[in-house]
Amino acid sequence: MTPARRERGLVRPYVVTDGRAYPTRNTFDLVTLVMAHPDRPLAGLSPEKRRVMELCLGGALSVAEVAGYLQLPVSVTKVLLGDLVDSGHITTRSPIPTAELPDIQLLQEVLDGLRARL
Amino acid sequence: MTDHIWEAVSWCLGVVVLVVFVLLMRQRTITAGVRRRNATLEESLKSRDEELQHLVEMRLPVIADALSQPSQLPGLRDERLAGTAFAQSLHGVVELFTRAVDKAQARADVSAKAALKASMRALQGLANEQQLSISQMQDRHDNPDVLRDLLEIDHSNSQFGRRAQAIAVLCGSWPGRQRVSSPLTDVVRGAKSRIRDYRRVQVHALVDVAVISRAVEPVVLAIAELLDNAARHSQPNTNVEVSLQPVHNGAVIVIDDAGVGMDGLEVQRAAALLSGERAVDVSRLGDPPQFGFAVIGLLAARYGFSVSVDTRSPYGGVRAVLFLPTALLTHVDAEEPGNRQAVPQEPHESGLESGLHTIPSLPTRKTRSARRTEPAVGQIPHQQAAPQQAAPYQQGVPQQPAPQQAAPAPADQAPAALTHPSAIEEASRTYGSTAGGLPKRRRRDPSVSRPADDWPTAAPEPETGSHRVRSAEETANRMGAFARGTRSGRAGNEDAAPQTEEGNRQA
Repeated sequence: MTPARRERGLVRPYVVTDGRAYPTRNTFDLVTLVMAHPDRPLAGLSPEKRRVMELCLGGALSVAEVAGYLQLPVSVTKVLLGDLVDSGHITTRSPIPTAELPDIQLLQEVLDGLRARL
Repeated sequence: MTDHIWEAVSWCLGVVVLVVFVLLMRQRTITAGVRRRNATLEESLKSRDEELQHLVEMRLPVIADALSQPSQLPGLRDERLAGTAFAQSLHGVVELFTRAVDKAQARADVSAKAALKASMRALQGLANEQQLSISQMQDRHDNPDVLRDLLEIDHSNSQFGRRAQAIAVLCGSWPGRQRVSSPLTDVVRGAKSRIRDYRRVQVHALVDVAVISRAVEPVVLAIAELLDNAARHSQPNTNVEVSLQPVHNGAVIVIDDAGVGMDGLEVQRAAALLSGERAVDVSRLGDPPQFGFAVIGLLAARYGFSVSVDTRSPYGGVRAVLFLPTALLTHVDAEEPGNRQAVPQEPHESGLESGLHTIPSLPTRKTRSARRTEPAVGQIPHQQAAPQQAAPYQQGVPQQPAPQQAAPAPADQAPAALTHPSAIEEASRTYGSTAGGLPKRRRRDPSVSRPADDWPTAAPEPETGSHRVRSAEETANRMGAFARGTRSGRAGNEDAAPQTEEGNRQA
């Protein structure tokens, strides 16, 4: 289904979103992770949505990455993803915050303390 | 004596009377002949006059009006003149006039076409330029309000570009854009992008054929004209249905509208234009100019597809059928959804190719690098093994050792991970390197991501992970072990201290 290289500019974004510019929900960020539900039927989806599903079935992808793979503007991608969330094809997850690591110096001190004690 | 005189005189008189009579008779005959001749000449002159008038008033204007083709020109008015020198001269005049008209028409056509073509090319260039900047703006701005406006501008710009392009094509220009081979669905949607009422166009079937690059733009333009006709001649609340069907000799695109339809005369005219046989005269397209069918006919004749509009749609409007012969079609790259599922196995095939295969959206790089690595030794066995890899993923895991045994040949290119004891896991992480030898970034993947990243959502991992590189059991084991370790660490068990530390260290 996917061409060797998608011809950018052949299918214009308004056709992809059917003229809509506003995503149905405003929960998407560039780094929001998108995960696909593998058991949802792909029938009836537009080629771009199908492609999103194919991409995301391989694992979680961020919105920015999906847009990059689809070669579509991020804002257009958000409209598509909003539809897919509504139809239950994908779920989103906000990005995982970086773990709060204890200070390395503190750890070193603890280690030294333990060594001194044992 | 007098008797003799009288006799002589009467004889003389008799002779004179006789002579006079004879002369009169002769004169009379001559006069009649002259009068007859005169009448004939007069008649002939009159008929020539009328013939000339006929030539000026009837025959020449018809020639001037005829669309460069003398279909049935009126002949002589008086058949009696046929074969005379006069008729031949008239014929000569007609010939000369016809030639002059043709020449003048051709010259006018050429100059009109040249002028239109040049200006349309300039407009086309501007439209393309503008499209590019609109695309860049769409990329740059993330605000839906801005996007809405940009989409509107984009839409009008596309229509504008199409008009300019159509006129340029009509004037003998090329469609003006070289595109890569694109799937038929995209071609139709590309055409949909260029008409006003694109939201009424419903594209139905999904066929996995693509149009070769040479024909993409002309086919897009032809379909756009057909869609535009369909949408323009039907009510705003009706849909235009487009279905794509593969057929034995190629593929067809069927466009049905629920509009007013065309009567016999219009169908005839359309068929003549669509056949592309007759040269199109730019100056005679009507007002407002209707160039849709003319453009389609030109493109169809030039690129070898065919269009017919002579069937009636079941919706009551027109059914337009565009037939694309096999010569204009190609097959889409082997990037089927099924293949993509099998992709994670491929990293074991060989070093270079592996990583590139796993990024579905960059197949050109894949093909390029595949071409580059073709000469490499040791590739062939892997390629032969490839067909088996279309099997479902779960079977793929046991297959992995086989390609690995064959791996030593390209080992220098292969990442070091392949020779590592834990190659099976490592290889799934390795996305190969670029042709330049740089490591490739791979995308995030919950099942193989680092444990510290996973702990907040440890529960859903096993199910999403089942599609990935590892088998479900393996992932479940790992996640289970990790969760147990974390739990025991949290519980304050001193035994678990190293594990939490490990988690932190890895994070």
